[in-house]
Amino acid sequence: MTGFLTRYGAALAGVALFCGFALASPVFLTAGNMAVVFKETAFLGILAVGFTLALVTAEIDLSVAEVASLAAVVTGALVHGGQAPWIAICAGMAVGIACGAANGLAVTVLKVPSLIATLGTAAIAKGLGFMLTQGVAFVGRWPTSFTGLARGNTAGLPNLVWWLGGVGLAAWVLVKWTRTGAHLVATGEADEAARLAGIRTLSMKRLALTLAGACAGLTAVLLASSLSSAAPGMANDHFLYAIAAVLLGMSMFEPGRPNIPGTLFAALTLKVLGNGLVLLGAEYYWQDIVLGTIILASVALSAAGTGRAPFVKKLNFRTGK
Amino acid sequence: MALLSLRGIGMRYGAVQALTGIDLDVTEGEVLALCGDNGAGKSSLVKILSGAQAPSEGSMALDGDATRFRGPQDALRRGVATIYQDLAVAPRLSIWQNVFLGSELTRPPFGLLDKRRMAEASRGYLARLAVDIAEMDTPVERLSGGQRQAVAICRALRWDARIIIMDEPTAALGVKETAQVLDLIRRLHAEGRTVILVSHAMGDVVAVAQRVVVLKGGRKVADRPVATPDGALRAEELAQLIIRGAA
Ligand SMILES: Nc1ncnc2c1ncn2[C@@H]1O[C@H](COP(=O)(O)OP(=O)(O)O)[C@@H](O)[C@H]1O
Ligand SMILES: [Mg+2]
Repeated sequence: MTGFLTRYGAALAGVALFCGFALASPVFLTAGNMAVVFKETAFLGILAVGFTLALVTAEIDLSVAEVASLAAVVTGALVHGGQAPWIAICAGMAVGIACGAANGLAVTVLKVPSLIATLGTAAIAKGLGFMLTQGVAFVGRWPTSFTGLARGNTAGLPNLVWWLGGVGLAAWVLVKWTRTGAHLVATGEADEAARLAGIRTLSMKRLALTLAGACAGLTAVLLASSLSSAAPGMANDHFLYAIAAVLLGMSMFEPGRPNIPGTLFAALTLKVLGNGLVLLGAEYYWQDIVLGTIILASVALSAAGTGRAPFVKKLNFRTGK
Repeated sequence: MALLSLRGIGMRYGAVQALTGIDLDVTEGEVLALCGDNGAGKSSLVKILSGAQAPSEGSMALDGDATRFRGPQDALRRGVATIYQDLAVAPRLSIWQNVFLGSELTRPPFGLLDKRRMAEASRGYLARLAVDIAEMDTPVERLSGGQRQAVAICRALRWDARIIIMDEPTAALGVKETAQVLDLIRRLHAEGRTVILVSHAMGDVVAVAQRVVVLKGGRKVADRPVATPDGALRAEELAQLIIRGAA
């Protein structure tokens, strides 16, 4: 029973939250509101999947949101300037991948701890975003071949849900069912043992951080496509959400480990929570307070052992132990 | 012919001369104990044997052919597996994940991990060591110290290693678990594998090794069989060798 609660307790709490809001607010369950929740979950989820992949190798990528913002304005600038959508999309992805690869090199070649390296990348991305736009947003009537990526439905489901499902599935298969995934996990769990067993741990870290960048790039393209606009800092609201989703996700399904299903379910739970709070009339700032509490609690209180995860040990959070 | 032989091995770390002129022949099928006080050079020698570092001087031969290991993976592929003291296993990973660490099995058509086959094979290796664990999905951190050593040894068996080097395998263990690990070593010996046991524990050495090599100040000061015409080497004699370099 305790095993069951450790695995599924947080997920059940999420379900309970969902039911609670459904009872308390007449608007919550409407198709329109659910669509909003799922779309928001898609942006958050894809970004958080990237964060999860980095964390699987025990590296922390604090740059995902700023990189996504930069990639979004690059994409937006190109679409806005009349470039073909596929060029803009490739450019957005390329920005994400390049930033991720840069993080990977900073961590594995320059040996800068990821916490610091990605903070640096985040600041640079932020600056570049403002340089590119001079602080002004790109807004316009963009071609539907671009906006259609994220808007509309396919086979009865919002396109964004398909994107999230596809990315989530791909990441899950990678981590759980491929040799590369096993090597990513081993790198995060026991760096030195993995290296001595012949696993190329530095390559694994570079790969994970690059994939995190790619997820940020995709999030950016979808954000720009969905909103028909791009502004500096546009993905930044997802930053705390993404961290909270990954940490909360570590209390589900595979307790104590960064895991894709946990991240996705936690992302949905957090967006349900944020949406429900707004519907119930809570001021906007409560979302941040609740997020912060979840971030703290998921490491401090986790019966699942998130506090013993290698990345936490690496940060030496557990002082005196 | 010696399975593995070292000639004139020296190791220098900057100003520190960690090993000097080590000659050593490892015979196929023996349990060889490598003893010495702290700082005697045991770990340095293990790192050379395991391919983790190249010696500053001297030469090595495997099956009589001069050789040098390009890294731990190279040594592993050529049949020399090392079980490092603290780095042997990934604690939160399962038994099969640890046994197949870095050499996972996949199956067609998509090349996805064959978890069932890895779990079954792990069970088989453990059975060869007479270790009985029901669940191959158990994280290694939930196992006893002795069982953990068994999992580490299974990885060596998975590579079909001819030489298994164990660095202080009983250092952190209680009496019962130590006995269990010594039993594992006896089983490896019975399978015909060569074991190099690095140990401080004189009792362990006398219990399982056929030969003991003692290092002191980076030099080999003793190399003798444990069983002698006038009875077995006693733990006290060994202690004298380690401390004074002579019995
Ligand atoms: N990487 C290193 N750099 C500098 N000195 C080292 C290094 N490794 C070992 N030494 C020195 O070499 C000597 C032998 O050490 P070591 O091989 O670890 O001995 P043992 O394992 O028997 O305790 C010691 O004086 C130690 O300080
Ligand atoms: Mg040592």
